Amino acid sequence: MPPVHRSVVYGWLRHDKKFPHVWCPGCGLGILLGSLLRALSQSGLDKNQVVLVSGIGCSGRLPVYVDVGSVHTTHGRALTFATGIKLAKPELTVITVMGDGDATAIGGNHLIHAARRNLDIKTVIINNQTYGMTGGQYSPTTPLGAKATTAPYGHIEPSFDISALSATAGASFVARSTVYHVTQLDQLLGQLIAKPGFGVVEVLSPCHTNFGRQNRLGSQVDMMLEFKKRGVRVERWQKLGPQEREGRYPLGVLVDRQQPSFDDSYQAMAAQAAALRREKQP
Amino acid sequence: MSPKAAPTPENKAAVDKVSFYSAWCKRCGNCVAFCPRKALGHDEWGYPVLADPERCTTCGLCEMLCPDFALSVGEAPAQPGAAAVPKGSRVAPTTSPERLAPEPAPKENGHG
Repeated sequence: MPPVHRSVVYGWLRHDKKFPHVWCPGCGLGILLGSLLRALSQSGLDKNQVVLVSGIGCSGRLPVYVDVGSVHTTHGRALTFATGIKLAKPELTVITVMGDGDATAIGGNHLIHAARRNLDIKTVIINNQTYGMTGGQYSPTTPLGAKATTAPYGHIEPSFDISALSATAGASFVARSTVYHVTQLDQLLGQLIAKPGFGVVEVLSPCHTNFGRQNRLGSQVDMMLEFKKRGVRVERWQKLGPQEREGRYPLGVLVDRQQPSFDDSYQAMAAQAAALRREKQP
Repeated sequence: MSPKAAPTPENKAAVDKVSFYSAWCKRCGNCVAFCPRKALGHDEWGYPVLADPERCTTCGLCEMLCPDFALSVGEAPAQPGAAAVPKGSRVAPTTSPERLAPEPAPKENGHG
């Protein structure tokens, strides 16, 4: 596969926005943005067919830089706005970008119900295990024992596994990757865009400014090398014993299943209702 | 070698392997740290340079891991902001052109 180069990414950036972007030096969100733009350009979609929706947080800034239809919504409500957009205009490809706090804390209810309903929305959840923009408070994905602004002696709550949560709630496509595994991330985002039904890609990303500093994890380079050490391809993960799985996580496509999506059921129901109405009218 | 210095004829081929855009670079060091062939290095200000062009295989990993779109591998595309600011775009006159992303290609129905 020939590498897709920067001029491609350029064509998808808004030319009247100031660059460099607002994120910290080395932030994984920039890598995810590049990856998403490469996946979008390879999918062959027109800019007018794509809508990017985001909530609040560092991730909320992402659609602002992209030259597609973009909506920056209230905290945790990216999926609700996306649901409205998709039902009003089913021909659009609707992609939501959320952070871990946005998706699983403030918008946790929307995430599980969007997954259960299986509406055709593509969801990218960038998981940096903290609330980065507001100063490093603990989020639902902060690991047990980790330090945070609101947990100075260590976090005492167990954390969410976003991929397992979405899979259990009924999503059609669930995958996990990290910003270190960027070639895999490109492929997974491409598969996400192509797959009908509710899809989730969880992207692990370093927040060296807040989470890394408070837990003495070093720079973003050290944190990304930690992803390399801990991430295991899902094919290899299945062969590992429980002891070897300790502290590690599978990367790749975790769930890929065919099931009726809400759009199709909704359109079928609308057609049925219209037929009934015609019968009743003389 | 400063990234802002114009390439001389003898190092032009080497410079063409990787192009750097210092106006967008935040000096995070991802490209230098993750180059699998250790071909990149820092200059005296901490900006990345292609220190060892012989070792560069133009694999493109530095470009993909750059969060700021501040470097590209292969033939150099036009400098960001080199294109004139189009009429009707909401750009303050004080905005430095090098901080703007280039215009989308003309065929891509006129957004902006």
